[in-house]
Amino acid sequence: MSVDNLKCPYQEGKLKATESLVARVKSEIIHKKLEKTNLVWLELNGCAGNIISLLNGQSPDFQYLITQMTNFMYSNSLVAAEGSEAMDHLFRVIGSDFILAVEGAVSLKEDGIYNIIGRQKEHAVTGLEAVKKLGEKAAYVIAVGACAAHGGVSAARPNPTECVGVHEVLQRKVIQLPGCPCHPDWFMGTLAYIMLYGDPPMDSRNRPLMFYSTTIHDRCPRRSYFERGIFASKLGEKTCMFKMGCRGPVTRIDCPIRQWNGHVNWPIEDDSPCIGCAQFGFPDAMEPFVNFDTTKGE
Amino acid sequence: MPERITINPVTRISGFMEIEADIENHIVVDAKTKGLMFRGFEKMLIGRAPFDAIYFTQRICGICSTAHSVASSLALEDAMNFAPSEQGRYLRDIVHGCEFLQNHLRHFYQYTLPDFVKLPENYPLFKTDHNDYRLPKNLNDKMVEDYFASLEFSRKAHQMLAILGGKAPHNHGVFIGGITAQMTIDKMIAITSILDGIGEFITDKMIPDVFKIGEYYSEYYHIGRGYGNLLSYGCFDNYKELGTLYVNPLVYSNNTITAFHQDEITQQNTYAWYNENNEPDIHKQQAYSWIKAPRYNNLPYEVGPLARQWLCGDYRNGISVMDRTIARVLEARKIAGIMKTLLEHLILGVSVQEEYTVPEKSTGSGLIDTTRGALGHWITIENSKIAFYQIITPSAWNLSTQTETMKGTGEQALIGAPVNDINSPVEIGRIIRSYDPCVSCATHVFSEGKHINTIQVV
Repeated sequence: MSVDNLKCPYQEGKLKATESLVARVKSEIIHKKLEKTNLVWLELNGCAGNIISLLNGQSPDFQYLITQMTNFMYSNSLVAAEGSEAMDHLFRVIGSDFILAVEGAVSLKEDGIYNIIGRQKEHAVTGLEAVKKLGEKAAYVIAVGACAAHGGVSAARPNPTECVGVHEVLQRKVIQLPGCPCHPDWFMGTLAYIMLYGDPPMDSRNRPLMFYSTTIHDRCPRRSYFERGIFASKLGEKTCMFKMGCRGPVTRIDCPIRQWNGHVNWPIEDDSPCIGCAQFGFPDAMEPFVNFDTTKGE
Repeated sequence: MPERITINPVTRISGFMEIEADIENHIVVDAKTKGLMFRGFEKMLIGRAPFDAIYFTQRICGICSTAHSVASSLALEDAMNFAPSEQGRYLRDIVHGCEFLQNHLRHFYQYTLPDFVKLPENYPLFKTDHNDYRLPKNLNDKMVEDYFASLEFSRKAHQMLAILGGKAPHNHGVFIGGITAQMTIDKMIAITSILDGIGEFITDKMIPDVFKIGEYYSEYYHIGRGYGNLLSYGCFDNYKELGTLYVNPLVYSNNTITAFHQDEITQQNTYAWYNENNEPDIHKQQAYSWIKAPRYNNLPYEVGPLARQWLCGDYRNGISVMDRTIARVLEARKIAGIMKTLLEHLILGVSVQEEYTVPEKSTGSGLIDTTRGALGHWITIENSKIAFYQIITPSAWNLSTQTETMKGTGEQALIGAPVNDINSPVEIGRIIRSYDPCVSCATHVFSEGKHINTIQVV
């Protein structure tokens, strides 16, 4: 339950990346070297779990984000206004300098009418239309969570509403933060980096390297069990869950060191296998999530 | 002539919703509640490995993911003819309790409060154009403080959830048998200490705040009653040693409480976008929403905290917008107390996990009351794969479409409500938010192999 036993300065540096970037943003805003940025949070076809996850952020917390760091313009889950007034709010941002964060997938079926996000007079605004309008004008676009990054669960087979990731409908770079949900630190660290320096260093699929560089398997505290061939046959055991379907070996993300919800726990520490939620291909390529038939596999 | 108004998006809910209301002489004379997003989970689940449903169905909803993991585990246990141990049930119910606390805190402060409290307008998120804010400045300021202070406690409720469930939202802990991990002394201490803090916040801030709002907006004790039919599948109930700590499966209609019977549930889709084969059909003529119309004994029912508080006898002041909101807050205190009792009865270091086998062929159901009300999962397994999966969510009950003869529960609550200023119909959002709508949950495909009888009126 603790990261106190971390001794490797490289890992520790990575773990503290978000905190130190945000601290720098804080100090530059206080010293008027940096201005608050306009931020729009657009929810599309998904579960709205990424904004819920963002509200769990600690360093800094959500209050700091919306009062000190950004002009937080819009979120369907949180905005006080409603109806056409809220829609006006959202689209009024076009013309200003803003960062667009998107959660949820873009539904393409029948021009997007399976996901109506609001109405402007008689016109029903689809998620597809909103993400195109805003995405083309934004200074940066961040796809937050699995659905926005690559379709995620919203695009699970047979993909009934033809869902795709945000980058599929925009002719521009989209910063990818896959995960189900996105950890608040991954988003906050990326946002802070953008505000200070612009695009963060990314891999070939536009994932920030400061979070997505290393597989779970490479930093897994149960790695020694894997090396010695000691495998769990049921959940709740403290050994390696590779044979039960753990996707740690293919999933590039920092859960083993970052952990979740104030850094108290994470799936493998909770004696359950990684299901690869932060890797492209989730969920279809990651199934079965839990497999007791450890000799045959799927 | 009535004048028609449309509110879209209804913000501060989960998912996308439109309300259409006809208003005559400042009274709502007709209303439609419309769910405007669709993903088709029940279709996606077909052919998948049955145990994966526990993690997969959580992705229906980012707010109440734990609820789906619990209902899914119950459905699988039923299909496997497997009874979890009491320790397993306690552990799983504690995790579920964490979600109740997190949801109720977030809903009351982040979703409900902005309807009644003027938040600082120098932040763009909080700009509004209606003026029906009635609290005196010092009280309004205090509530703004509590809006922000609550974030720490809802976050910590998720932290408790993660201590036992790995992470939140979308936990890994809830599974067949209870949860994956064991309770240890350090987890116990961490959870107990967080729970005490949350309990204090509920008692010292949240409960006084809701009653103060009730004082200044007292007409809302008489607005938004709806049909007054209440239903619960039961939760935190029927423990072998502890009995029922909260509420049994019960139904209230016509001033009478009776036992709940699963066979009385039906679902209609006359006005929802599904064709005669229950396939999505957005071009269907009379349809206006993705939400179907679940009925009990052919009647629409309200589900959620007020239904539970009423059915267990804790709160019977009335059925209205304000009573619904108060019941949610009082329920938060109740759940914190129940969690304490369950924690006291846990034995440390007990593993509740086994090597499970997927049945070749079976059916099962998992019915449980969750934060927003009655949630049901129904599964059919064939060739050791999911052959059929059906989900009826609380918000499908509360925001159902109409049938030939009756409006949905939320629609009925809107009809008859006053609207003072048709250009700023603030009453409508307040009424519908009292149900804590979750449209992400409420919209589904219902496919072949029906467990719940669908009545076709095409």
